[in-house]
Order: sequence, then C-alpha cells, then structure tokens
Amino acid sequence: MSPGQSRRSLALVHLVLAGYTVVALFPVLLVVINSLKTRRAIFTEPLGLPFGAAFDLVGYQTVLAQGDFANYYANSLIVTVVALGLILLLGAAAAHALAEYRFRLNTFFAIYLIIGIMVPIRLGTVAILELMVELSLVNTLLALILVYTAQGLPIAVFIFTEFMRSLSRDIKDSARMDGLSEYRIFLEVVLPLIRPVIATVAVFSMIPIWNDLWFPLILAPGEATKTVTLGVQQFIGQYTVNWNAVLAALTIAILPVLALYALFSRQLIRGITAGAVK
Amino acid sequence: MARLELDGVVKHYGRTEVIRGVDLTVEDGAFCVFVGPSGCGKSTLLRMIAGLEDITDGEALIDGERINERGPADRGLAMVFQTYALYPHKTVYGNMAFALRHAGVAKAVIDRQVRDAAAILGLDGLLERYPRQLSGGQRQRVAIGRAIVRNPRIFLFDEPLSNLDAALRVQMRVEILRLHQRLGTTMIYVTHDQVEAMTLADKIVVLNGGRIEQVGAPMQLYQHPANLFVARFIGSPTMNVLPVTPVGLEGGVARVRTAAGTAVEVPVAEAVTAENTQFGVRPEQLRVLDADVDGDGVFRGVAQVVERLGGETLLHVALGDDAIIVVKAAGGSAHRVGDPVVVAPEDGAGHLFDGTGRCVDRLMPAARA
Amino acid sequence: MHIAVFLGPAVLIYTVFAIYPLLESLRLSLFAGQPDGTAIFVGLANYAKLFFDPNWAGAFANAFWNNVVLFLIHMAVQNPIGLLLAALLSLPRVRFAAAYRTLIFTPTLLSVVIVGFVWQLILSPLWGVAEGMLAAIGLGFLYQPWLGLESSALVTVSLISVWQYVGIPMMLIYAALLGIPDELIEAARIDGLKGWAIFWKVKLPLILPTLGVVAILTFIGNFTASFDLIYTTQGALAGPNFSTDVMGTLLFRTFFGHQLQLGDPYMGATVASMLFFVILVGVAVYLVGVQRRLHRYEL
Repeated sequence: MSPGQSRRSLALVHLVLAGYTVVALFPVLLVVINSLKTRRAIFTEPLGLPFGAAFDLVGYQTVLAQGDFANYYANSLIVTVVALGLILLLGAAAAHALAEYRFRLNTFFAIYLIIGIMVPIRLGTVAILELMVELSLVNTLLALILVYTAQGLPIAVFIFTEFMRSLSRDIKDSARMDGLSEYRIFLEVVLPLIRPVIATVAVFSMIPIWNDLWFPLILAPGEATKTVTLGVQQFIGQYTVNWNAVLAALTIAILPVLALYALFSRQLIRGITAGAVK
Repeated sequence: MARLELDGVVKHYGRTEVIRGVDLTVEDGAFCVFVGPSGCGKSTLLRMIAGLEDITDGEALIDGERINERGPADRGLAMVFQTYALYPHKTVYGNMAFALRHAGVAKAVIDRQVRDAAAILGLDGLLERYPRQLSGGQRQRVAIGRAIVRNPRIFLFDEPLSNLDAALRVQMRVEILRLHQRLGTTMIYVTHDQVEAMTLADKIVVLNGGRIEQVGAPMQLYQHPANLFVARFIGSPTMNVLPVTPVGLEGGVARVRTAAGTAVEVPVAEAVTAENTQFGVRPEQLRVLDADVDGDGVFRGVAQVVERLGGETLLHVALGDDAIIVVKAAGGSAHRVGDPVVVAPEDGAGHLFDGTGRCVDRLMPAARA
Repeated sequence: MHIAVFLGPAVLIYTVFAIYPLLESLRLSLFAGQPDGTAIFVGLANYAKLFFDPNWAGAFANAFWNNVVLFLIHMAVQNPIGLLLAALLSLPRVRFAAAYRTLIFTPTLLSVVIVGFVWQLILSPLWGVAEGMLAAIGLGFLYQPWLGLESSALVTVSLISVWQYVGIPMMLIYAALLGIPDELIEAARIDGLKGWAIFWKVKLPLILPTLGVVAILTFIGNFTASFDLIYTTQGALAGPNFSTDVMGTLLFRTFFGHQLQLGDPYMGATVASMLFFVILVGVAVYLVGVQRRLHRYEL
C-alpha cells in the first residue's frame, strides 16, 4: 500500500479480513458456548451467552458418564505421539542419508519416498486391512501407529531433505575433523541444527493423525482402541437427540486442539511461511 | 610441525576428473596458498588433504608417512572453514573444547589449552557466549581458536576470510600472518583472492582446471609467470595482453609489432613462432609520456575511462585498433576522459607468450629453478 | 553401511505399509472372490463390471461425477477466497495481519468429523440457528434444510469443506507472496504501477507455480479425503439418495458392504485402483501440462 493509498481502502481490507475471521470462528464458538447452556437456552437463545439461568453442565455430565473419553484421549495421544516420534526420527535419518551422501540409488530412493506425497495411502486400505489381519494387529494401536508412520514419512523426508541440503557442509566436515562418527554427526550436529524445521514437520504430521476417521474406523474400531475422533463420531451417532451431550462432546474434542494451536500457532505459521511447502 | 607431500594425486567424481595429477611438496613451517579461479579444484585438493574427500589415485604423505587411508581426525590436522562451521548450540568454550573432549583429553588440559588459545586470539571475554552473539570477525577467531586448541601438525584454511567485509578481511589477514609467525606451524590456505595469496604465502600454488599452473614464491610468480594464465591471475589490475607479430630476432632479443604499429623488444630464450604470439605488460610497468613524444616504441591512444584511486590513477587507454590497455599513472595525473595519452613500457619490462600461452621470455629459466 | 542404517527403517516401514498395500490393491483388483472363499484371476473383469454392469456403472459414474463437482466448487470458491485473503494479508502495513491469519486458519486444524457435526447442527431445522439468522436480515424465506435435500446436499457439503480448508490455499499463497522480494515491488512502483496493478502484473505471475500446487493439492484432497466429511454428515449411504456419494464412500461401502449389499474386497480394490488411476492422471496432467509451462522464477 503506497503512502498515497487512502484510509478507506485500508478500512476495506480490514473489513474483509475481519469479516472472514468471524465466518471462520463463529460456528466453532457457537458450539462451545451452547455446550455450557441448558437445553432450553440452547433452543430459545442459541446466540446468548451461558450466564445465569442459562448456564448448565449437564451435557458434560452425560458425556463423562456415558462415553469413555479419557480412554479415547489416551488412545489418540499414544497413537499420535508414537507415530510422530517415529516419523521424526526415521524421517530425519532417511533425509540425512539422502541429503548428505552421494550413493548410487540416492535419486531412486528420493523419488520412491516422495511418491507417497502424491498417492494417498488410503488407496491401499483393502490390502492394509488384509495385512493387519494376517499380522493379528486389527484392533491394536500398533496398527494405527504403523500406518500413520508410513503415511507421514514422505512429507517429513521431503521437508527434512530440502532443509538439510541448505545446511552448511562445513559444519559436518568440521565434526568429521573432530573425529565424530557418522552416527554421532547425525545425532549431535545435524539434529540440533534442524530443530526449527522439526516443529514444522511435527505439526504437519500430527494434525492428520489426530483428526483421522478412516483408519480408526477400519483398523481399530473396538471400544478399547477407539481414538477421540472415532469416539466422538460414534458417541454423537448414538446421542443425536441429546443436544447438550452432543455439544459437550464436540467441545471436548475441539478444545485441546485449540489450546495446542494457541500454544504453537506461531511456530506452525512460521513453518508454513518459511516456504517449507514449495 | 610437518612436511606434506602430494604425489600424482588424482580425484574423480564418476567420470569427471577434477584433480588431474598434482605433485607438490609443502615444507615444514611453510605458509602455502592454493589460489585459482572458482572450480579450479583448490578446495577439493584441500579437502583431500584433510581426509574429507577420498584420493582416487596417487599418494598424500605427511612427514613421509602415507595418510590416504586415515580418517580426517587421525591425520593430525585442523581445518578452518569458510562458513566458520561453529556448532550453534555450543558456547565459544564448548566449540573450542569439543574435539578435545571427544578425544577424551583430561579436563584440566582442555581448560588450559582453550584458555591459551583464547588469549592468543583475544577471545578471553567471550568464552561463555554463543556463536549467534558474535560478530563475523569474532566467529572467525573462534573457528581459528578451535583449530589451535588441537595443536595440529598442519593448519588447513578453506577460504576463511571470504565471508568477512573488506576492512575486517585485511585485519584478519594480518592476524593470521602473525599467528603463523608465532606458531611456526605448516599452514595450507585456499583462496580465490590473489591479493590474499600474495600477502600471506611464502609459497603460492596456482591451480587451474585441476592442474598446477605454477608453484613459486609470490614475487617469483609476479615477475616471472610461467604462462599467460598465471600472468593474468597474479597482479591487480590484471596484465595488459596484446596480440603481436614477430618481426625480428637479434642477439636473443625479439622484436614484435602490435596491430597499431607499436614495436617493442623483449629478450627471449628461444625463437618466437609467428602464430598467436602475445605481448604482456603490467599496468605499473607502463610509463606515461608527454603527449607530443613520438617514436616506434610508444603506445598512443585516448583516455576512455579514468579511475582515480587517490594514491594512483588508472587510465584505460583505447588504442587505435580497438585494444584497450590499462596504465597505472600518478595519483595527481591531470588526464581526463578524451585526452590523448602516450605510454611506453619501462626498459626490459614485458613478456612474450607463444601460441600455447607459454611464456618464452629470457627470464623463464630462472623462474623454473 | 551407515547409509543403510539411516535409510533402512524409513524405507522398510514405508514399503510394507504404504507401497506394498498400494500394489497389492492393484493386484487384488484383478481377482474375484468365490463362494468357497478362494479367489480366482479374472483379468480386467472387475473394471468391466464397474464400467458396464448396470448395478455398478450408475453408482460409479455418480460418485465420480460428484467428486468432479466437489473439485470444481473448491477451485471456484475455496481457492479464489484463499487468494484474496492472502493478497490482503500480504499487503504492507496491515495491522493485526498475524492475528487474522492465525484465526482464519483455525477450522483447518479441526477434525472433519467435528466440523461436519458443527455444521449439521447449525444447518439443522431443529436448532434453527441458520434459519434464525437469515430471518434476522429478512431472508428467512430462503432457508431450506440444505443438507437433507437431494438438490442442494452436495453443494452444501462442498461449501462446508471450503469453509474448513480455505486456510490451506491462503497460507500457501501467502507464503509465496511473502517470498517476493520487496525490491521488486518497489521497482514496480517506481515503474508507475499502483495497488491492484502491482498484484495482477507483478505478484500474480510470480506465484503461478504455487497456484498450480494448490490446484493439485485440491484435486488429490477432493478425491481421497472427502470421505470423512460425507460419512459424518450424510452417512455411509451418502444420502439423500446417494446425491453426495463420492469415490471414498463408494469404496467404503463396496469394501465393507451395507444394508443392501455384502462387502467385496476385490471390487473394493477395483474402486480404490480406479481412484489411484484418476489421481495418477491428475498428477500427470499437472506435471506435464501445468508445471512445465509455469516458469518458476528464481527469487
């Protein structure tokens, strides 16, 4: 915007942006607010705030009594954290091999690993289920962890490789002159250097895992292994008429994500805008 | 303290040959500079000495002992990198101590060595800082300190000053020179900057296309370049080179004529063939004469560009035949653009190069010795 | 040696749980189950069935077409909005730009399941929020239970998805716009360009490769990820009357079966393989037709 540009056009810019921000947030806030209200208030005054007579936690009481949400959260957490750990460690190691060493099959492996970005792993579901049946992994969290690791590796390897190629070769050579083995160079020199991009990859990998419905539904639908996403989906399917419970269940699923986002949004957005996705 | 020998050293990447057979001896305590344009193989050669690149063929020896098969940490060398290569997550102290800690050296010894090196380089107050809190010059000092701490047999420098600004570069150059005088350790230094090479080295190795063009002391290379490449690479501004036709050879002195008709005489060691002979003369070896001086041996032309550097003035003189020669004139030179300029080489100045670029003037045999 | 240690584990897991299943699915699509539980090789018979058998062809064509519609709506609505928001955010001296982009990106992070339910509630005639809000601005008569009508369900689902994912093109384009050096914009200004002219004539040509990436991501996402939203809001039968059926829900029903039909892993694999080919064609078109023609300028 040049100095000569009018205040009016700047106001227009803000109007558009703020307007869209309202559109983006309104539905989410509406659910959260109404989850704290009485059934009556939900229907008579959906836009009212949950104060005074309108305030009621009955929805949450139902959810906590009926659904095993603590268990669903634990499952989601285990799956997400373990899969994420594997994606980051194995992805960084593979990327290091591709970025650091010249060897004959380098280009082949680079392309091989990147195919997974273009072709979603879901298309192999039929065979994945067969495989899991054969390995007796159906209805285990391990099945989800393995599939999500395979799903997350391509993008992680891609982003890590791009970033590692931009690292100075001198510092690794310097470590070699200092007598470090190739493994220790990876662990002690390269890993600390890629810390900024680890956060980006982590967020990118984490969101689809946490939010996925497809694989929990197909590979681990049992009560003991349900993830939050699947748990909420099925809980709401059963309690469609109990509005308090439905709204509370949705809020319970939304809030942790929002809290995490509030904590890491800066890092996430810096990651995206750093051109990690080219 | 050590002597380095390279014997027929060759490097291939796949089918491309980047080092094409290098023979070189660097004496104990020498300051040897590898210089050449980018892509000439100077950094590769250094990295092969360091052990960071395999030696495809030939042998590298330190004090007569073959080191081809030793890992980079086992050669008794230390290297200073262009980008400093400091570990960003370690303090200055941690960076300098890292190699020793890794080698299992006793804590007290590490501490003494780090503090000694820090004192030499004036880093005393900065030991607890992180690299990001240091200026470029300080980082470079830490990188050097890290090398000193290891007490190596040979120091390797890979373009260590090219990330610094001009003023700092000059200052660090002097510091490195002092360090060499103080430690007396063999140093091998890679640069693309011929000024750094001239000022630092007691032995310059000019590389081009993976081959050594010439090895010698700075002034030897300046005064007696073995060929056109070295002649042009060493010296600033670069040597003027003009195509000439030989017109006579008498008593070991060749007489040649430029396209514009200027005739010059150069003592030669052998007969000059007619094909593509070239005459070279450095800008500082041309003397500006009065505009009305005439004669066979003068270049006349018009000042096209006048660069005033203060202490001296560079005149770019367009000769009649499209050729341009650069002349280093006095700082107070009154010449302006468009003025006629007459110049002549100093007595005995100038070189003749044959069709292959080899220098054929009489002083060559001395340069070879 | 160390190369194998670094590369091995990732390649192993990826091969076993991503590449092998893909290839195995392609292989299974060439077989058919027998009543005794075994399978026999039938060549391309499953594909012939999918294309020409009256029980399958209609459903397949419907699902494929709905996917195309979904994709087109995203291209026509989501990406232009994303471009507009990114263009506004990247203007210099817009205060709160960081807050805007953080908030606008929020829905993208939520699970599709959550988003689906949220919109289902809002659009529900029982709750009446949507109706009430339209009425408040005098447009109450426009209200319809959009998700429940055959004529409007697909468009409505598409717009919900647009609402959720507009943050992705916005961020990608925003990042690309930030990557344009200030000097270039200043040079354009000195050349006499102003406001939107700078955007159309300088910025847009430079971010075309990013728009290409956005298009291919939209394509892949629409053909594979659309399952979650439709399964959540419309159920596995993609109602009403299959009007929101897409390849993902068709694959799910074919594989697992539903009220009207038994599950068939071989036909499931066939549907998945068709989806695979569709994506392959899309990616190929992008790589050959789009990406090659778009110059990626060094910035």
